[in-house]
Amino acid sequence: MERLLGDLKPGERAIIERIEGGGALRRRMMDMGIVPGVELEVVRCAPFGGPLQIRLKGYYLAMRRGECAKIKISETYRVNETYPGYIQHPLASR
Amino acid sequence: MKIALVGNPNVGKSTVFNALTGSNQQVGNWAGKTVERKSGLIKRANQQIELIDLPGTYSLTAYSQEEIITREYILREKPDVVMAMIDASNIERNLYLVLQIMELSPRVVIGLNMMDLAQSAGITINTTQLALALNVPVVEIVAAKGKGIEEFLTEAIRVGMLELDPLQGEVSYPEELEQRIRAMEGQLADNAEVTRYPLRWLALKRLERDPEIGQEWKSSTPKSRNSKNKDACCDPGDAVNYELVETVALPGDELLQTYEAEGWGKDQFEMAFADAKYKYISQILPSFRTHENPSKPTWTDLLDKWVLSPIWGYPIMFLVLGIVFWGSFVASAPIGGAVSQGMAWAADVIVSILQWGHAPDFLQSLVRDGIFAGVGAVLAFVPQIAIFFAFFSFMQDSGYLARAAFLGDRFMQLMGLHGKSFFSLVSGFGCNVPGIMATRTLEDPKDRLITMLINPLIPCVPRLGVMSAVVAAFFPGSRGSVVMVSLLLLSMILVMFSALFFRRVVKQTERSAFVMELPLYHIPTLRNILLPTWQKTYSFLRRAWTFILVASIVVWVLSSYPQGVSMNATWAAKMGGWLSFIGEPLGFDWRIMVAIVFGFTAKETTLSTLGILYGVAANASQSIAQAMTGAMTPLRAYTFLVVYMLYIPCLASVVTTYKESGSLGWTSFGVAYNLILSFVMGWIVFHGGLALGFQ
Ligand SMILES: Nc1nc2c(ncn2[C@@H]2O[C@H](COP(=O)(O)OP(=O)(O)O)[C@@H](O)[C@H]2O)c(=O)[nH]1
Repeated sequence: MERLLGDLKPGERAIIERIEGGGALRRRMMDMGIVPGVELEVVRCAPFGGPLQIRLKGYYLAMRRGECAKIKISETYRVNETYPGYIQHPLASR
Repeated sequence: MKIALVGNPNVGKSTVFNALTGSNQQVGNWAGKTVERKSGLIKRANQQIELIDLPGTYSLTAYSQEEIITREYILREKPDVVMAMIDASNIERNLYLVLQIMELSPRVVIGLNMMDLAQSAGITINTTQLALALNVPVVEIVAAKGKGIEEFLTEAIRVGMLELDPLQGEVSYPEELEQRIRAMEGQLADNAEVTRYPLRWLALKRLERDPEIGQEWKSSTPKSRNSKNKDACCDPGDAVNYELVETVALPGDELLQTYEAEGWGKDQFEMAFADAKYKYISQILPSFRTHENPSKPTWTDLLDKWVLSPIWGYPIMFLVLGIVFWGSFVASAPIGGAVSQGMAWAADVIVSILQWGHAPDFLQSLVRDGIFAGVGAVLAFVPQIAIFFAFFSFMQDSGYLARAAFLGDRFMQLMGLHGKSFFSLVSGFGCNVPGIMATRTLEDPKDRLITMLINPLIPCVPRLGVMSAVVAAFFPGSRGSVVMVSLLLLSMILVMFSALFFRRVVKQTERSAFVMELPLYHIPTLRNILLPTWQKTYSFLRRAWTFILVASIVVWVLSSYPQGVSMNATWAAKMGGWLSFIGEPLGFDWRIMVAIVFGFTAKETTLSTLGILYGVAANASQSIAQAMTGAMTPLRAYTFLVVYMLYIPCLASVVTTYKESGSLGWTSFGVAYNLILSFVMGWIVFHGGLALGFQ
């Protein structure tokens, strides 16, 4: 089943498979390190359906749900439930 | 020698730049843009060096104004050496930019900053190995503590003095890409462009169909650097304009078409190149970086657990904003008062000198009531603005501003705005001038413009002061707070409505994305706060004083001529009379129209103007408002409050909008919009109220 980054819950990780759409938005994502094959983790969501805080490549990024819905992911798995953001094993570089 | 400092936002570039140039800085704007341009001249080892601090950027593909400037500078000005700063605690993404720079600039030196932060996060970086992997000199720095900065510069100068370009490392692209790049290189090899740019870079950009390659630009410097009005600090810097000289058609069109047919279009190449760079970085990463105990939460993780928490995030934000507000707009009041008093005192001194010299009365009045009163009213804002900017720099440098944008984004999204607009709009409650200036953090020029245009609809502290005095007089007791809240709600609704409306008026090709880094928390250095505060305040004054002076004189002339008549016979009163046809449908008499006209210089003067017109002693806001109760019904007062809250905020904010947007058209549009909106709303309120039977 195809899943989107926006479907992830805090504390879940996934590998980026594909980025939909093009233009400036995709280029922007590329500049920030969002390319296929990269592993990322949703750390938390802002309340009231606000943006998501995402961790990748050892830094944090904020992205709106609308933008997260453009990112197809695969291989999701949970990290620590009680402490989102608390990493048990390092995020692999790729 | 020309040296450019390049790096991601927040890597500590300004810290290094400030340490190297000290007070020999020239701060201005890039030609036609509201992005700060900072350069400085330094002397080292008999070399005159022009150091330029380029705006922080994540890549050299053009996205935001900042990135376009950085890219154009490297492309067109070709600095002799590029000092590329990277953040050791976030080296993977930072190296992406470095790889792009290395493809374009033959002489690069890397400054590895934030070594202290990396260390505390358990990251060790073997500098020698990093230098080996990229074949580029690397210098370790802790900019905040001043460590390694001089060495960084020395290394850059050494590289700049080399006879031949050093051999830098290259990204190894996967075979299928490499073949295509080679083929393109073969086509381009004989082209004249190769003398200007590295062949590989040209080939890559040609495959990406970058529109700018093949264009030759000439820089035309309009003013000479040694112009007369050179200040010790904060020279506006000379704006360099570029002119397109010619566009060369580059070979390789057929090759591009073949690739297109094979499924390798512009987008595919772009993506593949980015992907290859990231792959390359992760390949070389293990050779120089070790990350011990990565599961240990950092300071940032621990702080964010509170600061971004769904429960505590908003209370903390309100607390922070409360402190900022209190500090800039409440605690600064005595300083502002002192400035006004100082101005009044200076006016008295000058007037007494004039009297001693038997200067004519009109001159004395011009000096005291025109120039000093008008300019003083604006100068009284300056402490507010300065203190606000100090807080602003602190929040930006510490990393909190990005968090506030994260939390506020949801509400901004409702208005079709960016999370970063949130702070500008909230600042507007303090004073619209810094609120408008705070839009600079927005990347998209259209978002910036919209935020700037709606900012005046937010009532600032001085306006709120006048409003609450009037409310207290007309609506005593608990009714007053209901009325006040209803006014604030109205302003919120209109802000939201106007944002959506402007979104339609301002043409935007592509909606800006909200993809924003949440940097690690830093403790800002004192210099990083005080220096920009001084520069911003100074440049505000420098740019605005002529406007303010002229406008003060105009208002003075209108309100004191013809000479010797009472206030209700002056030209201004006549204007109020003409304008009463606008006011009449709203139930306003000419006095209110005059007060509205005069409120333009500074809205807090409205009460004292009304005081004079109603014949009450000035400076007793309570009694002035009381006097108004005799002349107006509560409904009319409420209508007045609505119009007062919404019409053009003040001269200083209009000037700021003009300076920040750089467009007279948009500024006039904003003013007209405010005027029309305020009177239309006033009309609706008045007639709606009458229809509902209020009096
Ligand atoms: N811990 C630490 N903080 C630093 C270092 N260098 C700069 N900073 C801080 O990082 C923040 C951003 O620096 P700044 O020079 O404004 O970055 P710029 O956006 O690249 O110009 C400031 O709060 C600095 O005080 C460093 O080496 N270590």
